[in-house]
Amino acid sequence: MKAIRNICLTLLYLFLLAPIIVVFIVSFDTRQYLAFPPESWSFGSYTKVFANEAFIAAFGRSVVIGLVVGLVAVAIGMLLSMALVRYKFRGRDTIGFLVLAPFLVPSIVLAVGLMLVLSPMGLLDSYAGIMLAHLGITVPYTVRTITMSLMAVDRRIEEAAMVHGASPFTVFRRITLPLVSPGLIAGGVIAFLISFDEATISLFIVSIRTSTLPTEIYRYLEYSTDPQIAALSVVLILISVAVVVLVERLIGLRKAI
Amino acid sequence: MTERHVSVENLVKTYPGAAKPSVDDVSFSLPRGEMLALLGPSGCGKTTILRMIAGLVEPSSGAIRLNGREVSGIPVHKRNMGMVFQAYALFPHMTVAENIAFGLEMRGIAKADRAAKVARALDLVKLTGLGDRRTTQLSGGQQQRCAIARSLVIEPELLLLDEPLSNLDAKLRDEMRDEIREIQGRTGVTAIFVTHDQDEALSMADRLAVMSAGRLEQIGTPRQIFDRPETEFVASFIGAGNFLNGRVTGAGEAAVDGFGTLRFVGDAAVGQDVRLMVRPHRLVMGGAANSFTGTVEHIVYRGQILTMTVRSGQTRLQADLHTHAGALPEKGQTVTLGVAPEDVTFIGRAA
Amino acid sequence: MRDRGLILALLIPGLLAMLATFILPMAWLLRASFSTSTMMQVGFTLEHYRAALADPFYWKVALNTLTLGLTVSAFAVILGYPIALFLARTTSRWRGVLTALAVAPLLTSAVVRTYGWMVILGDRGVINGTLQSLSIIDTPLRLSNNSFGATVALVEILMPYAILAMLAGFGRLSTQLEEAAAMLGANPLRVFWRIVLPLSLPGVLTGALLVFVLAISSFVTPRLMGGGRVFVLGTEVFSEATVTLNWSLAAALSVMLLVLFSSVIVIYQRALRRLEA
Ligand SMILES: Nc1ncnc2c1ncn2[C@@H]1O[C@H](COP(=O)(O)OP(=O)(O)O)[C@@H](O)[C@H]1O
Ligand SMILES: [Mg+2]
Repeated sequence: MKAIRNICLTLLYLFLLAPIIVVFIVSFDTRQYLAFPPESWSFGSYTKVFANEAFIAAFGRSVVIGLVVGLVAVAIGMLLSMALVRYKFRGRDTIGFLVLAPFLVPSIVLAVGLMLVLSPMGLLDSYAGIMLAHLGITVPYTVRTITMSLMAVDRRIEEAAMVHGASPFTVFRRITLPLVSPGLIAGGVIAFLISFDEATISLFIVSIRTSTLPTEIYRYLEYSTDPQIAALSVVLILISVAVVVLVERLIGLRKAI
Repeated sequence: MTERHVSVENLVKTYPGAAKPSVDDVSFSLPRGEMLALLGPSGCGKTTILRMIAGLVEPSSGAIRLNGREVSGIPVHKRNMGMVFQAYALFPHMTVAENIAFGLEMRGIAKADRAAKVARALDLVKLTGLGDRRTTQLSGGQQQRCAIARSLVIEPELLLLDEPLSNLDAKLRDEMRDEIREIQGRTGVTAIFVTHDQDEALSMADRLAVMSAGRLEQIGTPRQIFDRPETEFVASFIGAGNFLNGRVTGAGEAAVDGFGTLRFVGDAAVGQDVRLMVRPHRLVMGGAANSFTGTVEHIVYRGQILTMTVRSGQTRLQADLHTHAGALPEKGQTVTLGVAPEDVTFIGRAA
Repeated sequence: MRDRGLILALLIPGLLAMLATFILPMAWLLRASFSTSTMMQVGFTLEHYRAALADPFYWKVALNTLTLGLTVSAFAVILGYPIALFLARTTSRWRGVLTALAVAPLLTSAVVRTYGWMVILGDRGVINGTLQSLSIIDTPLRLSNNSFGATVALVEILMPYAILAMLAGFGRLSTQLEEAAAMLGANPLRVFWRIVLPLSLPGVLTGALLVFVLAISSFVTPRLMGGGRVFVLGTEVFSEATVTLNWSLAAALSVMLLVLFSSVIVIYQRALRRLEA
């Protein structure tokens, strides 16, 4: 009984992780084209990826866009969360709902809308345009993680600090901020990762000048599936793993996603 | 002992990865219709014993018998035992009546019979008319009653209750304590309940099994456990006690510091070093057969009782005296305390 | 009111971002779907909706989308359920690691995982390659460049969402309730049927909804795995927007997607209310 259960679970996990495992294996194949099983092993694909200027440039752009988006999303998220958690005001529920509304809209629909808005402003295929688009889908996440850590802060600790003579700003800087910093970092990391991995919306907004790594891979895959992409994928997966470990350490993965 | 309805023999449970057994060689048995309390501090293995009897935990070794028949091969759902869980474990997606009917349904009892039995069970636990409620709409006490009805309606061989009163507030607890006792008496079901509360155990059970660190210390009626504790653990876990060392000088007589000669109940050979126990509230002012004269070192007035520590030489006694409006002892005063020989308990040989 | 200025200051950046990235886009989308021009928002016409609704191709596309969404959410939930149930109930010390493993795929790009499935299901991929090298088949099985491939890949890609949603929705499950049912005479099958399944149904429903939404709005995976032979609303919106450059039609199709999605949400909420009543 238990053995059957374990076999089923193992198979399901195998299915879940299959593409990642397979990509890992294929990335070490020596051949120039996609085939299985590998004939012989080498780092050939990796050398090629690291020599591919288009990929390197797109990687750099993705990192820059992700970092900016992460930082701005955390800043906006922190301000919004402070207002939503700490103050009562008219329209709070509406704003609270609106903030999370992008979760409720299929991303492709949002993508068309964003394209329509950015185009007349000349922001298609620009850094500002793609960053703005990514902000739209990451702020809901940062608001959610930061709101949760803010709600977990015991207000009595802040009151104790005030009683002992700290000004509201000092309380925020010395008490509140350190206490929610795991939430801030986790929110920022998640936002970075979403921006870094995002393809759907990006494909509507970027073309050559600001293509991100996922869009570059997508375009490449439209005409070729060679193992270079496998090597590149492994690099991306490793980055994700590093981030997952970081987030798990900070606040636990299940709370973050 | 009369017929053994339920018996547990040399039961041992060592959880995987644990260094010591959680239940260590425990044996006891119950006649039909008895209510036994498993009493002991938290973590001593009470719940584990209950769960082994229920079949929810597999014993590492030992036997559990129901009507003389070993039950180890019988899966949980065929053991026909009722269990009241600490947090009640009522099914949140069913009404009160559906909860109570669940066990009957599992036994394939026809719908009409089910309804009749459920109605009777609701009456038994005074939930008449609340059958259509959601369990979340019940108060704590009502949930408790529902859980009891659910486990009794299947007419179980044995009713198991794990800390049944711990989730109730103090007032309800007293009420439910009497009620559970009454329901158990009325249905005549054999029952084992787990508690860490001595008052609960003493007032509800026919007999108590006192446990410590996985081992059974003593089993007996409330009076036996309270008045004749056999181990120092039992004596100190249930009620308070003054423990005294002495040397036996004759039949039922020992030389004890401060008393001179202390007469006690129990068998001990002359010349043996013994450990004796006197409950603070069994001490009285004025010398009787056993008298102890000393200085009042410490005193606390508590309304109903007066707690004081009286010292003579190396020996200190705590006495709990009933108060009255007249003059009471004061700190520094010399007083004489007495205790009846039958209130001096022989615990065992001194260490 | 000193607080009022502070609150406003806290809200403004967020409100501006929301305006630019959500409210305006949704408004423009609606506006564009009625525009007489294909790339600008001018005039008013129902032509795009008429064109879409009159064209049997788009009806086929809508049906394909619905089929894909239903198939993918059914499989993602059925395959994810045992994992979610296991993770919700286990007391193993590996629980943290196993949860991370089940959810971690979410943090790798869908493009990367789609590529993984191209490698697995491709003509010279893992399955065909292995079968051929074992001489079990001579011509490759058609596992990709069709809706089968797109469905399999989407099931795997969206399964972590189903698992997460189910885990979050399993709050009312507890081993104690299962034990209580067993004590009352329910065998393991009946414990599952009468206790575990009903109590986990809200989570299952939420998981299915989430996966459905993501599946009907996907286009990267259907396009890459479908090899241009799978036509769903997502792929059509994308090609109208970036290839044909008929933005108004893309907008009209998006609005139709939104309508499809909203009707599913309504059904979902009805079902959930009935479950919880
Ligand atoms: N499922 C379990 N796995 C491992 N150890 C357990 C388990 N259940 C209980 N224990 C351990 O067994 C001991 C007895 O527990 P328990 O029977 O619950 O005590 P009680 O009910 O008397 O408080 C405790 O030390 C506890 O930590
Ligand atoms: Mg216990």
